[in-house]
Amino acid sequence: MTTTLAGTLALERLEKNRFRGTTPDSWSGRIFGGQVIAQALLAAYETVEERPCHSLHAYFIRPGDPVVPIVFEVDRSRDGGSFATRRVIAIQDGKQILNLAASFQDAEEGFEHQVPVPEHPHWSELLAEIRPEDAGKPDAGRATGWLSSSVTRPIEIRTVEGMLSPEGQQPPFNKYWFRAIDPIGDDPRLHQAILAYASDMGMLATATRPHPVTRRTPGLKSASLDHSMWFHRPIDFNAWHLYVQDSPIASGGRGFSRGSIYTEAGVLVASTAQEGMLRPPRA
Amino acid sequence: MAETLTETLKLERLEVNLFRGTTPQTRMDRIYGGQVIAQSLLAAYETVEGRACHSLHAYFIRPGDPSVPIVFEVDRARDGGSFTTRRVIAVQHGQQIFNLAASFQVEEEGFQHQTPVPEHPHWRGLPDTAALKLLEEKHGVQHVSGAEKVQKPIDLRWVDANLDDSLKPPEGQIWFKARDPIAPGSHMHQVILAYASDMALLPTALRPHPVSWRTPGFMGASLDHAMWFHRPLNFNNWHLYTQDSPAAGGGRGFTRGAVYDEAGVLVASVAQEGLIRMRRPKA
Repeated sequence: MTTTLAGTLALERLEKNRFRGTTPDSWSGRIFGGQVIAQALLAAYETVEERPCHSLHAYFIRPGDPVVPIVFEVDRSRDGGSFATRRVIAIQDGKQILNLAASFQDAEEGFEHQVPVPEHPHWSELLAEIRPEDAGKPDAGRATGWLSSSVTRPIEIRTVEGMLSPEGQQPPFNKYWFRAIDPIGDDPRLHQAILAYASDMGMLATATRPHPVTRRTPGLKSASLDHSMWFHRPIDFNAWHLYVQDSPIASGGRGFSRGSIYTEAGVLVASTAQEGMLRPPRA
Repeated sequence: MAETLTETLKLERLEVNLFRGTTPQTRMDRIYGGQVIAQSLLAAYETVEGRACHSLHAYFIRPGDPSVPIVFEVDRARDGGSFTTRRVIAVQHGQQIFNLAASFQVEEEGFQHQTPVPEHPHWRGLPDTAALKLLEEKHGVQHVSGAEKVQKPIDLRWVDANLDDSLKPPEGQIWFKARDPIAPGSHMHQVILAYASDMALLPTALRPHPVSWRTPGFMGASLDHAMWFHRPLNFNNWHLYTQDSPAAGGGRGFTRGAVYDEAGVLVASVAQEGLIRMRRPKA
């Protein structure tokens, strides 16, 4: 029986502010960054009562090793009148592999505005993703390749081009639809954590688009360096969401990307920003 | 003789990873956020050799007390082959007022792209501080107490100061630069840009709303601050700072910024969420 993503992300409490998480078997080489962000956010949530997260900022410090557990240490920086702040360090073999800071706030009302959602095709007009278990059937491969095809992603994705990293040079923009496959249930913390997990996908690919490489090019070195998220509104991530990304710049071996996540009704529920290392293959 | 901003921000080294900074006297009852960002970045720089900062992520946790020194504790999270990671906590009265994580990198070459600079007026045609003051007097604008002193080290020209507080789209532009000369090639260019980048962001989130910083009962405060330094910069020269605010809700406004030099080169990106609320009437 396979575990749901929520099951994979579940943490064991070692002490009041210490937690332990693991990585599923199927991952190759290093841990997927989104997993560590999601687990670090859940560790912070274990120390916060009844306040939704409105933002997080994380750094990937070292590659995560999928075969050993990850220990999460939470620092209760502040519990204020309406905000709480937490810092989390993810540790393997005595070394920091990720740090995350996050802020939580009591629900409150206030000024509201939002920029309109950009033009986009509806998800129902786009090809369904071809899953690894369907590989070998005609057309297989159109939607795979940017992650190991031996991995069944817990996130369903529909892209405009049929894949996240198309061949050939493209403008530094992308949009795709995504949602969680397994039912998440009614815990809003898990919807945020799984959106955080999924939001690490495709950002670096967008920064790579104007260049004569894809993330599959042999010798290309790429890795997420940091990840920021702002949760503007409550989320139901079992419903389809549009992820609009742009990359204003690449320079100095790094690419910078920004993302906006909208519901089907066009409501902006979250924003993201990420910088990644992008090193061309050595000649 | 008035001290330069570089002198104001200067830190005393207490121990290998421990530093102390002070706040100049202003009439403000809390410390300007940009000062603490700048000093924390400086503290991190004191523990890094020959690598330039390419990003920082910070949270404002408690209001800073201008009457006592700030102690900065640096955690040397990682010294890698080409990247260095640091975390800094700013402490007053035994409590964290601020945290910052930052990443530093050896200079390298790589892919290059950049989106074009948006349309903008040249700084030469915009009112300088003295001209703006006359305009403000004409509009009966009252300044937030002490704000002038904080802004003084930065020469800042608003493209649209919106002195009549009319409702506008959530977009803004300013030109700015350091007033006191910064030594060529010094990391103080980044530090002072970080100081200045906390200005003018939150007002952009307020533009679509019938409220401003000067509205009685309005409460505004930076919650977090993220910066990415894309290229070397010379902040003795004029830079265009463009801002947009994709969303506000739940008592918070989210803003993004881009900093271009006069030739249109994108040197830095910024993201910030701020508290924007009307004080609850006292019961």
